[in-house]
Amino acid sequence: MTIVELSLVLLAISIAAGVLGALLGLGGGFVIVPVLTLVFHLDIRLAIGTSIVAVAATSSAGAAINVSESITNLRVATFLALATTLGAVTGALLAGVFDARFLFALFGIVLALSGVQMLRTRPVTTVKVPVSLIKDRVPAMQAVRASGNIAEGAVRGRHLADRLALHSAYYDESEGREVPYVVVQTGLGLALMYLAGTMSGLLGIGSGALKVPAMDLAMHIPMKVSTATSNLLIGLTASASAVVYFARGDIDPLIAGPVAIGVLVGATQGSKMLRNIRSDRLRVLFVIVLGTVAAQMLWKGIG
Amino acid sequence: MLPASHAYGALTPPSPRGVRALVGKVLHVGVLSSAAVLLTGYLVGLIAEPATFGSHSAEQAHLAARASFPHSLLAVWDGIGHGSGEAIIVAGVLVLILTPVAGLATSAVAFARRRDWLFTVISTTVLSVILGSFVIGWLTA
Repeated sequence: MTIVELSLVLLAISIAAGVLGALLGLGGGFVIVPVLTLVFHLDIRLAIGTSIVAVAATSSAGAAINVSESITNLRVATFLALATTLGAVTGALLAGVFDARFLFALFGIVLALSGVQMLRTRPVTTVKVPVSLIKDRVPAMQAVRASGNIAEGAVRGRHLADRLALHSAYYDESEGREVPYVVVQTGLGLALMYLAGTMSGLLGIGSGALKVPAMDLAMHIPMKVSTATSNLLIGLTASASAVVYFARGDIDPLIAGPVAIGVLVGATQGSKMLRNIRSDRLRVLFVIVLGTVAAQMLWKGIG
Repeated sequence: MLPASHAYGALTPPSPRGVRALVGKVLHVGVLSSAAVLLTGYLVGLIAEPATFGSHSAEQAHLAARASFPHSLLAVWDGIGHGSGEAIIVAGVLVLILTPVAGLATSAVAFARRRDWLFTVISTTVLSVILGSFVIGWLTA
Protein backbone atom coordinates (compact mmCIF):
# COMPACT_ATOMS: atom_id res chain seq x y z
CA MET A 1 0.00 0.00 0.00
CA THR A 2 1.41 3.39 -0.90
CA ILE A 3 1.22 6.41 1.36
CA VAL A 4 -1.44 7.93 -0.92
CA GLU A 5 -3.61 4.81 -0.64
CA LEU A 6 -3.06 4.73 3.11
CA SER A 7 -4.12 8.39 3.29
CA LEU A 8 -7.33 7.71 1.40
CA VAL A 9 -8.23 4.77 3.66
CA LEU A 10 -7.45 6.87 6.75
CA LEU A 11 -9.53 9.71 5.31
CA ALA A 12 -12.59 7.47 4.92
CA ILE A 13 -12.28 5.96 8.40
CA SER A 14 -11.74 9.39 9.92
CA ILE A 15 -14.85 10.81 8.33
CA ALA A 16 -16.85 8.06 10.04
CA ALA A 17 -14.99 8.64 13.33
CA GLY A 18 -15.72 12.37 13.05
CA VAL A 19 -19.45 11.86 12.48
CA LEU A 20 -19.78 9.48 15.46
CA GLY A 21 -17.44 11.49 17.66
CA ALA A 22 -19.26 14.79 17.11
CA LEU A 23 -22.69 13.20 17.44
CA LEU A 24 -21.85 11.42 20.68
CA GLY A 25 -19.37 13.83 22.29
CA LEU A 26 -16.67 11.15 22.40
CA GLY A 27 -14.09 12.73 20.13
CA GLY A 28 -13.51 9.78 17.81
CA GLY A 29 -10.39 8.43 19.52
CA PHE A 30 -12.28 5.24 20.30
CA VAL A 31 -12.37 4.52 16.55
CA ILE A 32 -8.96 5.89 15.55
CA VAL A 33 -6.74 4.12 18.11
CA PRO A 34 -8.00 0.55 17.54
CA VAL A 35 -7.96 0.98 13.74
CA LEU A 36 -4.41 2.35 13.67
CA THR A 37 -3.01 -0.26 16.06
CA LEU A 38 -4.99 -3.37 15.11
CA VAL A 39 -5.43 -2.85 11.35
CA PHE A 40 -2.33 -0.84 10.43
CA HIS A 41 -0.09 -2.21 13.22
CA LEU A 42 1.02 1.29 14.03
CA ASP A 43 3.03 2.03 17.16
CA ILE A 44 0.61 2.84 20.03
CA ARG A 45 2.56 6.07 20.65
CA LEU A 46 1.78 7.41 17.15
CA ALA A 47 -1.79 6.09 17.36
CA ILE A 48 -2.48 8.03 20.57
CA GLY A 49 -0.78 11.15 19.17
CA THR A 50 -3.05 10.94 16.13
CA SER A 51 -6.14 10.30 18.25
CA ILE A 52 -5.44 13.46 20.29
CA VAL A 53 -5.40 15.46 17.04
CA ALA A 54 -8.68 13.78 16.05
CA VAL A 55 -10.25 14.85 19.36
CA ALA A 56 -9.13 18.47 18.88
CA ALA A 57 -10.55 18.35 15.32
CA THR A 58 -13.93 16.91 16.39
CA SER A 59 -14.21 19.40 19.20
CA SER A 60 -13.41 22.49 17.13
CA ALA A 61 -15.52 21.54 14.12
CA GLY A 62 -18.45 20.49 16.31
CA ALA A 63 -18.40 23.51 18.60
CA ALA A 64 -17.94 25.89 15.66
CA ILE A 65 -21.41 24.80 14.58
CA ASN A 66 -23.19 24.17 17.87
CA VAL A 67 -21.94 26.90 20.22
CA SER A 68 -23.74 29.70 18.45
CA GLU A 69 -26.90 27.57 18.21
CA SER A 70 -26.71 27.01 22.00
CA ILE A 71 -26.87 23.23 21.67
CA THR A 72 -23.46 23.47 23.31
CA ASN A 73 -23.87 25.06 26.74
CA LEU A 74 -20.84 27.35 26.85
CA ARG A 75 -21.29 28.30 30.51
CA VAL A 76 -21.54 24.67 31.64
CA ALA A 77 -18.52 23.76 29.51
CA THR A 78 -16.43 26.65 30.86
CA PHE A 79 -17.31 25.85 34.47
CA LEU A 80 -16.74 22.10 34.16
CA ALA A 81 -13.46 22.71 32.29
CA LEU A 82 -12.06 23.88 35.64
CA ALA A 83 -12.38 20.30 36.87
CA THR A 84 -11.45 18.43 33.67
CA THR A 85 -8.24 20.41 33.05
CA LEU A 86 -7.11 20.25 36.70
CA GLY A 87 -7.98 16.54 36.65
CA ALA A 88 -5.92 16.01 33.51
CA VAL A 89 -2.91 17.65 35.19
CA THR A 90 -3.45 15.48 38.29
CA GLY A 91 -3.65 12.39 36.10
CA ALA A 92 -0.45 13.27 34.26
CA LEU A 93 1.34 13.77 37.59
CA LEU A 94 0.01 10.45 38.95
CA ALA A 95 0.86 8.50 35.79
CA GLY A 96 2.61 5.29 36.75
CA VAL A 97 1.39 5.33 40.36
CA PHE A 98 -1.52 3.01 39.64
CA ASP A 99 -1.53 -0.18 37.62
CA ALA A 100 -2.82 0.82 34.16
CA ARG A 101 -4.53 -2.56 33.68
CA PHE A 102 -6.47 -2.15 36.91
CA LEU A 103 -7.52 1.36 35.83
CA PHE A 104 -8.66 0.19 32.39
CA ALA A 105 -10.72 -2.60 33.98
CA LEU A 106 -12.22 -0.20 36.52
CA PHE A 107 -13.00 2.33 33.79
CA GLY A 108 -14.65 -0.38 31.68
CA ILE A 109 -16.89 -1.44 34.56
CA VAL A 110 -17.87 2.16 35.37
CA LEU A 111 -18.75 2.79 31.70
CA ALA A 112 -20.81 -0.38 31.47
CA LEU A 113 -22.74 0.54 34.62
CA SER A 114 -23.40 4.09 33.40
CA GLY A 115 -24.66 2.67 30.10
CA VAL A 116 -27.21 0.51 31.93
CA GLN A 117 -28.21 3.46 34.09
CA MET A 118 -28.68 5.70 31.05
CA LEU A 119 -31.25 3.36 29.58
CA ARG A 120 -33.46 3.57 32.66
CA THR A 121 -36.04 6.33 32.59
CA ARG A 122 -35.36 8.87 35.23
CA PRO A 123 -38.11 10.30 37.43
CA VAL A 124 -38.74 13.94 36.58
CA THR A 125 -39.99 16.39 39.14
CA THR A 126 -41.59 19.47 37.71
CA VAL A 127 -40.44 22.66 39.36
CA LYS A 128 -41.07 26.27 38.62
CA VAL A 129 -37.97 28.23 37.82
CA PRO A 130 -38.02 32.01 37.65
CA VAL A 131 -37.22 33.11 34.13
CA SER A 132 -34.70 35.56 35.58
CA LEU A 133 -32.46 32.56 36.26
CA ILE A 134 -32.17 31.72 32.60
CA LYS A 135 -29.54 33.98 31.11
CA ASP A 136 -28.64 31.87 28.17
CA ARG A 137 -32.00 31.88 26.46
CA VAL A 138 -32.79 32.49 22.84
CA PRO A 139 -35.36 35.06 21.65
CA ALA A 140 -38.08 32.49 20.96
CA MET A 141 -38.36 32.01 24.70
CA GLN A 142 -40.52 35.07 25.08
CA ALA A 143 -43.60 32.83 24.93
CA VAL A 144 -42.30 30.62 27.70
CA ARG A 145 -41.39 33.67 29.72
CA ALA A 146 -44.99 34.83 29.65
CA SER A 147 -46.19 31.54 31.12
CA GLY A 148 -43.74 31.93 34.00
CA ASN A 149 -43.22 28.18 34.30
CA ILE A 150 -40.23 27.25 32.39
CA ALA A 151 -38.59 23.94 32.92
CA GLU A 152 -38.55 20.57 34.52
CA GLY A 153 -35.91 19.20 36.79
CA ALA A 154 -35.13 18.02 40.28
CA VAL A 155 -34.89 20.64 42.99
CA ARG A 156 -32.00 19.28 45.00
CA GLY A 157 -28.60 20.85 44.43
CA ARG A 158 -29.80 23.52 42.08
CA HIS A 159 -28.40 26.52 43.95
CA LEU A 160 -24.89 26.49 42.53
CA ALA A 161 -26.33 26.27 39.02
CA ASP A 162 -28.56 29.26 39.85
CA ARG A 163 -25.60 31.33 40.94
CA LEU A 164 -23.64 30.40 37.83
CA ALA A 165 -26.69 30.88 35.57
CA LEU A 166 -26.14 27.48 33.97
CA HIS A 167 -29.80 26.82 33.12
CA SER A 168 -30.53 27.27 29.48
CA ALA A 169 -32.64 26.31 26.51
CA TYR A 170 -31.93 24.99 23.05
CA TYR A 171 -33.97 24.69 19.91
CA ASP A 172 -34.62 21.04 19.08
CA GLU A 173 -35.14 20.58 15.33
CA SER A 174 -36.55 17.06 15.73
CA GLU A 175 -39.21 18.26 18.17
CA GLY A 176 -39.67 21.60 16.44
CA ARG A 177 -39.65 23.45 19.74
CA GLU A 178 -37.44 25.16 22.23
CA VAL A 179 -36.41 22.88 25.08
CA PRO A 180 -35.67 24.73 28.32
CA TYR A 181 -33.76 22.82 30.98
CA VAL A 182 -32.58 23.17 34.53
CA VAL A 183 -29.11 22.06 35.63
CA VAL A 184 -28.95 20.19 38.94
CA GLN A 185 -26.28 18.68 41.24
CA THR A 186 -23.58 20.94 39.86
CA GLY A 187 -21.14 20.07 42.65
CA LEU A 188 -21.48 16.35 41.99
CA GLY A 189 -21.04 17.00 38.26
CA LEU A 190 -17.87 18.98 38.96
CA ALA A 191 -16.46 16.14 41.10
CA LEU A 192 -17.24 13.56 38.41
CA MET A 193 -15.56 15.77 35.79
CA TYR A 194 -12.46 15.94 37.97
CA LEU A 195 -12.39 12.14 38.06
CA ALA A 196 -12.96 11.96 34.29
CA GLY A 197 -10.12 14.43 33.72
CA THR A 198 -7.81 12.44 36.00
CA MET A 199 -8.67 9.24 34.10
CA SER A 200 -7.87 10.89 30.77
CA GLY A 201 -4.55 12.15 32.12
CA LEU A 202 -3.68 8.72 33.56
CA LEU A 203 -4.69 6.63 30.56
CA GLY A 204 -4.22 9.02 27.63
CA ILE A 205 -7.85 8.74 26.55
CA GLY A 206 -10.46 11.40 25.83
CA SER A 207 -12.90 10.17 28.51
CA GLY A 208 -15.90 11.75 26.83
CA ALA A 209 -17.47 8.37 27.59
CA LEU A 210 -17.47 9.41 31.25
CA LYS A 211 -18.36 13.07 30.72
CA VAL A 212 -21.62 12.51 28.85
CA PRO A 213 -23.09 10.14 31.50
CA ALA A 214 -21.97 12.58 34.23
CA MET A 215 -23.91 15.42 32.59
CA ASP A 216 -26.88 13.24 31.72
CA LEU A 217 -27.23 11.19 34.92
CA ALA A 218 -25.96 13.59 37.58
CA MET A 219 -26.73 17.03 36.20
CA HIS A 220 -29.89 16.14 34.21
CA ILE A 221 -28.70 18.03 31.14
CA PRO A 222 -30.59 17.00 27.97
CA MET A 223 -28.82 14.34 25.91
CA LYS A 224 -28.04 16.56 22.92
CA VAL A 225 -26.66 19.32 25.10
CA SER A 226 -24.61 16.74 27.06
CA THR A 227 -22.89 15.33 23.97
CA ALA A 228 -22.30 18.75 22.40
CA THR A 229 -20.94 20.17 25.66
CA SER A 230 -18.75 17.11 26.25
CA ASN A 231 -17.42 17.65 22.75
CA LEU A 232 -16.26 21.17 23.62
CA LEU A 233 -14.76 19.96 26.94
CA ILE A 234 -12.65 17.15 25.51
CA GLY A 235 -11.14 19.55 22.96
CA LEU A 236 -9.70 21.68 25.75
CA THR A 237 -8.00 18.78 27.52
CA ALA A 238 -6.86 17.37 24.17
CA SER A 239 -5.23 20.71 23.29
CA ALA A 240 -3.36 20.72 26.57
CA SER A 241 -1.90 17.25 26.05
CA ALA A 242 -1.46 17.50 22.26
CA VAL A 243 1.37 19.97 22.73
CA VAL A 244 3.24 17.35 24.78
CA TYR A 245 2.66 14.68 22.13
CA PHE A 246 3.86 17.08 19.43
CA ALA A 247 7.06 17.95 21.30
CA ARG A 248 7.75 14.25 21.93
CA GLY A 249 7.46 13.52 18.21
CA ASP A 250 4.28 11.42 18.48
CA ILE A 251 2.35 13.33 15.81
CA ASP A 252 3.33 11.98 12.38
CA PRO A 253 2.09 14.35 9.65
CA LEU A 254 1.56 11.53 7.12
CA ILE A 255 -0.93 9.89 9.48
CA ALA A 256 -2.31 12.79 11.51
CA GLY A 257 -2.78 14.94 8.37
CA PRO A 258 -5.34 12.78 6.54
CA VAL A 259 -7.00 11.87 9.85
CA ALA A 260 -7.38 15.56 10.76
CA ILE A 261 -8.93 16.43 7.39
CA GLY A 262 -11.31 13.45 7.52
CA VAL A 263 -12.39 14.16 11.08
CA LEU A 264 -13.01 17.84 10.30
CA VAL A 265 -15.31 16.86 7.44
CA GLY A 266 -17.05 14.12 9.46
CA ALA A 267 -17.47 16.19 12.61
CA THR A 268 -19.00 19.09 10.69
CA GLN A 269 -21.54 16.67 9.26
CA GLY A 270 -22.10 14.93 12.61
CA SER A 271 -22.78 18.22 14.37
CA LYS A 272 -25.42 19.14 11.81
CA MET A 273 -27.00 15.69 12.29
CA LEU A 274 -27.08 16.33 16.04
CA ARG A 275 -29.66 19.07 15.48
CA ASN A 276 -32.06 16.74 13.72
CA ILE A 277 -31.65 13.40 15.48
CA ARG A 278 -34.29 12.43 18.05
CA SER A 279 -32.96 12.52 21.61
CA ASP A 280 -34.15 9.00 22.46
CA ARG A 281 -32.39 7.57 19.39
CA LEU A 282 -29.25 9.51 20.25
CA ARG A 283 -29.37 7.99 23.73
CA VAL A 284 -29.67 4.44 22.38
CA LEU A 285 -26.84 5.03 19.89
CA PHE A 286 -24.72 6.44 22.69
CA VAL A 287 -25.32 3.45 24.95
CA ILE A 288 -24.44 1.02 22.14
CA VAL A 289 -21.16 2.80 21.45
CA LEU A 290 -20.53 3.15 25.19
CA GLY A 291 -20.86 -0.64 25.40
CA THR A 292 -18.14 -1.16 22.78
CA VAL A 293 -15.88 1.40 24.47
CA ALA A 294 -16.44 -0.38 27.80
CA ALA A 295 -15.53 -3.68 26.14
CA GLN A 296 -12.34 -2.11 24.70
CA MET A 297 -11.36 -0.90 28.17
CA LEU A 298 -12.14 -4.25 29.84
CA TRP A 299 -10.11 -5.99 27.13
CA LYS A 300 -7.12 -3.76 27.88
CA GLY A 301 -7.58 -4.41 31.59
CA ILE A 302 -8.00 -8.18 31.46
CA GLY A 303 -6.69 -9.29 28.07
CA MET B 1 -25.40 43.65 51.09
CA LEU B 2 -25.84 43.01 47.40
CA PRO B 3 -29.28 42.90 45.88
CA ALA B 4 -30.50 39.31 45.52
CA SER B 5 -30.54 39.57 41.75
CA HIS B 6 -26.82 40.27 41.72
CA ALA B 7 -26.03 36.65 42.45
CA TYR B 8 -27.65 35.67 39.19
CA GLY B 9 -25.52 37.98 37.12
CA ALA B 10 -28.34 40.48 36.68
CA LEU B 11 -25.80 43.17 35.90
CA THR B 12 -25.00 41.46 32.64
CA PRO B 13 -27.23 41.98 29.62
CA PRO B 14 -29.93 39.29 29.45
CA SER B 15 -28.66 37.14 26.62
CA PRO B 16 -25.01 36.21 26.05
CA ARG B 17 -25.66 35.37 22.42
CA GLY B 18 -22.81 37.68 21.47
CA VAL B 19 -20.34 35.58 23.46
CA ARG B 20 -21.46 32.37 21.80
CA ALA B 21 -21.52 33.84 18.32
CA LEU B 22 -18.01 35.24 18.76
CA VAL B 23 -16.62 31.94 20.12
CA GLY B 24 -18.32 30.07 17.28
CA LYS B 25 -16.78 32.43 14.74
CA VAL B 26 -13.25 32.01 16.14
CA LEU B 27 -13.59 28.20 16.12
CA HIS B 28 -14.91 28.34 12.57
CA VAL B 29 -11.94 30.41 11.39
CA GLY B 30 -9.55 28.00 13.17
CA VAL B 31 -11.16 24.97 11.53
CA LEU B 32 -11.23 26.45 8.03
CA SER B 33 -7.68 27.77 8.17
CA SER B 34 -6.24 24.52 9.52
CA ALA B 35 -8.09 22.56 6.81
CA ALA B 36 -6.66 24.91 4.17
CA VAL B 37 -3.12 24.55 5.53
CA LEU B 38 -3.44 20.74 5.80
CA LEU B 39 -4.62 20.42 2.19
CA THR B 40 -1.90 22.79 0.95
CA GLY B 41 0.71 20.72 2.75
CA TYR B 42 -0.59 17.54 1.24
CA LEU B 43 -0.59 18.95 -2.30
CA VAL B 44 2.89 20.44 -1.89
CA GLY B 45 4.09 17.07 -0.56
CA LEU B 46 2.60 15.13 -3.45
CA ILE B 47 4.19 17.43 -6.01
CA ALA B 48 7.54 18.20 -4.39
CA GLU B 49 8.28 15.04 -2.38
CA PRO B 50 7.00 12.07 -4.35
CA ALA B 51 9.64 9.96 -2.59
CA THR B 52 7.89 10.43 0.75
CA PHE B 53 4.27 10.77 -0.28
CA GLY B 54 4.23 8.19 -3.06
CA SER B 55 6.44 5.61 -1.39
CA HIS B 56 5.39 2.03 -1.73
CA SER B 57 5.57 0.69 1.76
CA ALA B 58 3.30 2.17 4.33
CA GLU B 59 4.24 -0.64 6.68
CA GLN B 60 5.04 0.04 10.29
CA ALA B 61 8.75 -0.57 9.74
CA HIS B 62 8.83 2.09 7.06
CA LEU B 63 6.89 4.59 9.15
CA ALA B 64 8.98 3.85 12.23
CA ALA B 65 12.26 4.13 10.30
CA ARG B 66 11.25 7.55 9.02
CA ALA B 67 10.86 9.04 12.48
CA SER B 68 12.35 12.27 11.19
CA PHE B 69 9.21 14.33 10.75
CA PRO B 70 9.36 17.82 12.20
CA HIS B 71 8.36 18.00 15.86
CA SER B 72 9.67 21.31 17.08
CA LEU B 73 8.49 24.79 16.17
CA LEU B 74 11.91 25.57 14.72
CA ALA B 75 11.87 22.50 12.49
CA VAL B 76 8.35 23.32 11.30
CA TRP B 77 9.32 26.93 10.55
CA ASP B 78 12.47 25.78 8.74
CA GLY B 79 10.51 23.17 6.80
CA ILE B 80 7.91 25.68 5.64
CA GLY B 81 10.74 27.90 4.45
CA HIS B 82 12.05 25.02 2.35
CA GLY B 83 8.60 24.21 1.01
CA SER B 84 8.34 20.88 2.85
CA GLY B 85 4.87 19.36 2.59
CA GLU B 86 5.27 17.52 5.88
CA ALA B 87 6.19 20.71 7.74
CA ILE B 88 3.15 22.49 6.29
CA ILE B 89 0.90 19.60 7.40
CA VAL B 90 2.36 19.79 10.93
CA ALA B 91 1.66 23.56 10.91
CA GLY B 92 -1.97 22.77 10.02
CA VAL B 93 -2.15 20.25 12.86
CA LEU B 94 -0.76 22.89 15.24
CA VAL B 95 -3.40 25.41 14.15
CA LEU B 96 -6.01 22.72 14.85
CA ILE B 97 -4.58 21.90 18.28
CA LEU B 98 -4.60 25.57 19.27
CA THR B 99 -8.15 26.24 18.00
CA PRO B 100 -10.01 25.10 21.18
CA VAL B 101 -7.64 27.24 23.27
CA ALA B 102 -8.28 30.23 20.99
CA GLY B 103 -12.01 29.67 21.53
CA LEU B 104 -11.52 29.67 25.29
CA ALA B 105 -9.40 32.83 25.17
CA THR B 106 -12.10 34.50 23.08
CA SER B 107 -14.80 33.56 25.59
CA ALA B 108 -12.66 34.98 28.43
CA VAL B 109 -12.42 38.31 26.59
CA ALA B 110 -16.10 38.26 25.64
CA PHE B 111 -17.20 37.53 29.22
CA ALA B 112 -14.99 40.40 30.44
CA ARG B 113 -16.51 42.79 27.90
CA ARG B 114 -19.95 41.81 29.20
CA ARG B 115 -18.72 42.46 32.76
CA ASP B 116 -19.52 38.85 33.69
CA TRP B 117 -16.59 38.81 36.11
CA LEU B 118 -17.32 35.38 37.59
CA PHE B 119 -17.05 33.70 34.19
CA THR B 120 -14.11 35.90 33.21
CA VAL B 121 -12.25 34.52 36.24
CA ILE B 122 -13.36 30.94 35.54
CA SER B 123 -12.31 30.97 31.89
CA THR B 124 -9.04 32.74 32.67
CA THR B 125 -8.28 30.11 35.32
CA VAL B 126 -8.96 27.28 32.86
CA LEU B 127 -6.79 29.06 30.29
CA SER B 128 -3.89 29.34 32.76
CA VAL B 129 -4.17 25.65 33.70
CA ILE B 130 -3.97 24.73 30.00
CA LEU B 131 -1.10 27.13 29.27
CA GLY B 132 0.65 25.83 32.43
CA SER B 133 0.39 22.26 31.18
CA PHE B 134 1.71 23.42 27.77
CA VAL B 135 4.84 24.76 29.47
CA ILE B 136 5.30 21.78 31.81
CA GLY B 137 4.70 19.37 28.94
CA TRP B 138 7.12 21.16 26.68
CA LEU B 139 9.85 21.19 29.30
CA THR B 140 9.45 17.53 30.25
CA ALA B 141 8.94 16.13 26.73
